[in-house]
Amino acid sequence: MARPSIALTPLSAQAEVTTKRRRSFFSANNPWLWVAPAVIILALYSIFPLIFNILVSFQNFRASTKAWEWVGFRNYEWMLFGNPLVGNFGNAIVVTAVYTIIALFAQLALGLFIALLLDDRPWFSGLMQTFMILPMVTAPVIAGLIFRLLQHSEFGVISWLLYGIGALTKEEPLLGGTGQYALIALLMVEIWQWTPFFVLIILAGLKGLPHEIIEASQVDGANWFQRLTRIKIPMLFGVITVGVLFRLIELYKTFDYVMVLTSGGPGDRTTTLSFYQYTVTFQNIRWGYGAAIGVFIMVVGWLSAFAYTKIFRVKW
Amino acid sequence: MAVGTLKAQTDWRAAQRRHHRNQFLGKVLLTLASLAVVSIFVFPIFYWFRLSITPYRYVFSLPPRLDFPEVTTAWWRVILGQASYQDTMREQTGTALAAGVGGGGTLGYAMIQPIANSLFYGLSSTAIVIFVATLAAYALSRFNPRGKQNLVFFIISTRFMPAAAVVLPLSWLYQQLGLTSTYLGVMMAHVVINLPLATLLLKSFFDDIPTDLDEAAMVDGCTRFGAFWRIVIRYVAPGIAAAAVLCMIFSWNEFILTLYLSRLPEMQTVPIRMQSYDTSAGPTEWGLLSAAGTAALIPVFLFILSVQRYLIRGLTLGAVRG
Repeated sequence: MARPSIALTPLSAQAEVTTKRRRSFFSANNPWLWVAPAVIILALYSIFPLIFNILVSFQNFRASTKAWEWVGFRNYEWMLFGNPLVGNFGNAIVVTAVYTIIALFAQLALGLFIALLLDDRPWFSGLMQTFMILPMVTAPVIAGLIFRLLQHSEFGVISWLLYGIGALTKEEPLLGGTGQYALIALLMVEIWQWTPFFVLIILAGLKGLPHEIIEASQVDGANWFQRLTRIKIPMLFGVITVGVLFRLIELYKTFDYVMVLTSGGPGDRTTTLSFYQYTVTFQNIRWGYGAAIGVFIMVVGWLSAFAYTKIFRVKW
Repeated sequence: MAVGTLKAQTDWRAAQRRHHRNQFLGKVLLTLASLAVVSIFVFPIFYWFRLSITPYRYVFSLPPRLDFPEVTTAWWRVILGQASYQDTMREQTGTALAAGVGGGGTLGYAMIQPIANSLFYGLSSTAIVIFVATLAAYALSRFNPRGKQNLVFFIISTRFMPAAAVVLPLSWLYQQLGLTSTYLGVMMAHVVINLPLATLLLKSFFDDIPTDLDEAAMVDGCTRFGAFWRIVIRYVAPGIAAAAVLCMIFSWNEFILTLYLSRLPEMQTVPIRMQSYDTSAGPTEWGLLSAAGTAALIPVFLFILSVQRYLIRGLTLGAVRG
């Protein structure tokens, strides 16, 4: 009170500060008011399911008596050490990991190749770019059906081609049989549908590269391969990391193709994590165990995506 | 001297012609290679479309035919509800089917209702998404509150969530709220799927507009909301249109949440109905399936042409401008 500086502040300015503070929440200058509707809707559909899954994951639901019972960490023990149901968690993780890694590398490599082709401006490159979009916007369910037809063991075109070159026999077709090739069948749809994503994203990146640098490297005698590996790919690093992030997220939750093409089978050869969680929950009616897997999927997904955006400095 | 100049000139011309010819050959090779690769990606859709207008007896010839020996509208008439499923199957395959038998089950192959449902969910959810997302995107672009990066990451992270893990909690919540198998419930699920996409995509469009515009408007007497509503939003209108079209497409393709939040057959969307068809019966029904699938693809393909430019920006939630 004794400090003169306060006394020296003009009264009008003091009044302005207090009124500003008083009406600050419901003012158009409060950003939280603008984002509130979106955040509330998203929280209801993301934080609520997480809390629900955590609570349910410590319980067991008896379908016969419709009663819940507290089981502690049993559901998590089932995840780690095996369970009395069909299929197991470890297998689902392996299937998802194999699927994700193969699909990602294939899509990235093919996408880069096709983007480089189209970036060299062949005739009709614009038209071809448009056509490359079509697989990506096809509904995954319909893409699955198209490939169920193409991979049909009797009259499918892909099967016919593979029989023809001797890569496949009628006893061990893509779909069915012992399921040796079922994962490959899934990967075909995945790669067909999402390679165009990398094509477009890399084309966008190539278009943004500064011409001077590429021309300078040409003048300095760099050949095509050197220009690609020393200049273009390093400069595309930014778009590629973003593309990989989005594909990783989707691959991690692969569900639709599995549902339409293989239903996780034969056996559990194509049971991905998402599909495993779905079978446990809706076919075995093990809601508690299903919720525990749900918690795992959500938490691991969030943490890895968060780590990825931090490591590769993906910015929005 | 004059002769020497002439010789040099002809040499130079020949070299240039050679150069042009090589360039031309290179272009031809490049075009052929690109065409070959692109046609592999287009082939499945082309084959599917071809099937939908091909009579049954030409459908499964191996080696596969790519021409159109005969065109029929039979499959399409069933899909559009103009012809009966049983009659068409008898006509095409010569097998008589009892009612309720076959891959179509009791629902048959008339797609008008699922298409209407898909359109309803798409349009209504997109309207809500665009309204809510435009407000949020403007704030995320213009203000810099503490924890903004975390907020942005929260919005993105809702998209990382595997739908399978939220189906059970949502079913329970819907049961409590009386939303199970209601149009409102499914519509809200579609809102949630598209909200992160629309918010961040629109944020990137707002980021493209200089903040001077808002400030000038506010200096001229607009309120903050007035600057947004009267001025800035006019400049992002093309972006809003693009976001709306992308939301429509993703809503149109959505599968797993819709499957579990709407159990009634009359509420099914196109992907749900397509998935319910049983193809284990054999080759007989693929004409109908492909016609139904093509009917679902055509609107998406037409729409995507209008926003092709923004597709990558949309799919990466604005992270890659394209």
